[in-house]
Amino acid sequence: MNLINDIIKLEPYSLNQINKNNFFFEKIKLLTKFHFNYSNDYKKILKKLNFNLKNLNRLEKVPFLPIRLFKSFDLISIQKKKISNIMLSSGTSGAKLSKIYLDRENAINQSRVLQNIINTVIGKKKIPMLVIDKKKIYDVNNFNASMAAIKGFSLLSTEITYLLNNNNEIDYEILNSFLKKNSKNKFLIFGFTGNIYLNFYKKLDLKKLKNKNFYNSILIHGGGWKKLENIKVNNKIFKEQLSRMLNIGKIINYYGLIEQTGSIFFECKCGYFATTIFSDVLIRDENLKTLPTNKKGIVQLLSLLPTSYPGHSILTEDLGQIIEDKNCTCFNNSKKFIIHGRIKEAEVRGCANI
Amino acid sequence: MIKKDLSIKYLVGSHQVNSNSQKPYDSLVIDFLGELSNELIRNRLAKKFTDVLALAFFCRKKNINLIKKKFFKINNPRLGLGLIFHITPSNIPTNFAYSLIFGLLTGNSNIVKVPNKPFEQIKIICHSLNKVLEKKIFYKLKQKILIMRYDRNDEFTKKISSKADARIIWGGDQTINELRKFPIKPRGIDIPFSDRFSISLLNSSKVNKLNKYQINKLIINFFNDTYSVDQNACSSSHIILWYGKEKIKAKYKFWNNLTELVKTKYRPPQISTIDNYTQLHQDFLNLKEIKKYKIYEKCLYVLDLKEINQNLTQLKRKWGFFYQYDLTNFSEIKKIINKRLQTLTYFGFDKNFFKKFIIKEEINGIDRIVPIGEALNIGLTWDGFDLNKILTREIVIK
Repeated sequence: MNLINDIIKLEPYSLNQINKNNFFFEKIKLLTKFHFNYSNDYKKILKKLNFNLKNLNRLEKVPFLPIRLFKSFDLISIQKKKISNIMLSSGTSGAKLSKIYLDRENAINQSRVLQNIINTVIGKKKIPMLVIDKKKIYDVNNFNASMAAIKGFSLLSTEITYLLNNNNEIDYEILNSFLKKNSKNKFLIFGFTGNIYLNFYKKLDLKKLKNKNFYNSILIHGGGWKKLENIKVNNKIFKEQLSRMLNIGKIINYYGLIEQTGSIFFECKCGYFATTIFSDVLIRDENLKTLPTNKKGIVQLLSLLPTSYPGHSILTEDLGQIIEDKNCTCFNNSKKFIIHGRIKEAEVRGCANI
Repeated sequence: MIKKDLSIKYLVGSHQVNSNSQKPYDSLVIDFLGELSNELIRNRLAKKFTDVLALAFFCRKKNINLIKKKFFKINNPRLGLGLIFHITPSNIPTNFAYSLIFGLLTGNSNIVKVPNKPFEQIKIICHSLNKVLEKKIFYKLKQKILIMRYDRNDEFTKKISSKADARIIWGGDQTINELRKFPIKPRGIDIPFSDRFSISLLNSSKVNKLNKYQINKLIINFFNDTYSVDQNACSSSHIILWYGKEKIKAKYKFWNNLTELVKTKYRPPQISTIDNYTQLHQDFLNLKEIKKYKIYEKCLYVLDLKEINQNLTQLKRKWGFFYQYDLTNFSEIKKIINKRLQTLTYFGFDKNFFKKFIIKEEINGIDRIVPIGEALNIGLTWDGFDLNKILTREIVIK
């Protein structure tokens, strides 16, 4: 099943809402039908929900799976022998991890789409990438979100350099040699938001930098603000502090699920995430009915990428809202939205308490 | 007796608690509880907590004297065991206070560990306890009450466990297993309140006859048993059994009326929407017994079962997630009765009906059969344990 071959050459933000909505809905419908036919669990769920494919006439009616389901079930739409990698969500230790089963085709499509979207930010030419993380060993069966992201972004780079050593400390020799070689031209700095702030910004000793030239850099970061919640660092403060210290050329936040790797959402200058031709977003209220623009609710994400597993329509545990801002001229063809953060976990209410 | 440890927060009393036995239902203790009752009623902050007011009502003199009367029908003299270590649960804020009261009434000294969750109710009750303990007349009782809160501290737990004559362990199987790693005295006993499961039984014929006022009353009672504690008490029901005529009509009436009340009175956390929706999907994949479902409200999911069996007593849920089943004949209920079953709340039956059934069928579970609305009414006989007897020792004199 390949739904992106006919659109992969297009600019990701090029279609206006009406054109995009038409073809996107048709493709999501095909995906829904496909997963219904090839995933026993998905079929079971849709049947119990009394879902009728014949009545599927609007995007809002596409069934959505609660994201936690990927942690407790092996949801898969391909034969076991076709599995090429298994991705795991990066969870807290002890917590269950989401398992995403990919075949070669799905994995390749993730890279293609990611590349398509990233090129709008870094240009079509490959550039060097500095990863604010330590080098990890890849294992087909143990591939988590950070590895997937790094791997995805690394395909677009001429070289990858890992900044941190095994103790998450900055290796100044590596940093200085990277800057010496690459800072005169465009280069990418990539990492998880929390990691960049805590292990790079907070720990950076400017005196140890031989050449402080980050002007040509593009910093792309994602992963959410949870780790920075208790020190009260938000998007605005993050940008301000990093810009001030290092004069970084561009700082761009991205949002995405490991369950929909590849179809990420980049933030525009105005601070809004934007959908591409590969993705869409809906906001639902506490009764799971769709909400109009500017109303805060639960985020549902749709993606054309998941073909080896039924992850094309997922209800997240994030709160967000679709934005209509007349003053924002970025991504005029896209649906723009903001993420408010994760829905608070209910405090452990079990009987147990030791 | 217990060395002072700085990582432990003492809410009431001090480490100078003793381990002496006393006579049960001592008049000083009864007076103390009466004063506590008054103090709680006087406490401005307590007014918004119905569970704290319920506690105040429970420990008033009149009520305690009634309980005392029942106790003294026994012949031989009884005395408290000595020192009780209470490990109290994190789901019911006032539970710790009832446990303490049971310990005091039965003539024991008490070390009570409250949950880490900073319930407002715990603060209020401890404040009132401290206030009453300041009175000279209750000076002696200071050595019989220690309430504290501490984060996991194995050394401390081990120490108190070794000194206690009994441990009352609330909090379910996991807590019990954890505590059992720390030995108690050879003569010491554990009173374990393990994971229990509760169900409800409704007579559909009777439900159908209810007028507007009566159905409202039933709904409020059911709500109090379940939603008031997020369906998370051991006595809150998860499976609703129907018995009688015109069940479809009765179910329609019951659930739709409940929906109205839940919509207006229940304020769950946002995550409940996700939890319930996720649970529905998990049940679709895990439970072969699901026939159909209906979402009345974000916090009222009702799943119809094709059959009932022993495995279903594992299905503890939250935020208004219920299963229901139509009994074809009454003895079918035995299919779901096992040792996990604690409470059966009912509507539309006579209690003698149950008495006959239990004896005839020698059922393998159920410790309480009470009307809907009384699920959470805790008493000295709980989970099948007669605490009046268990927390005292009987001295045979011939």
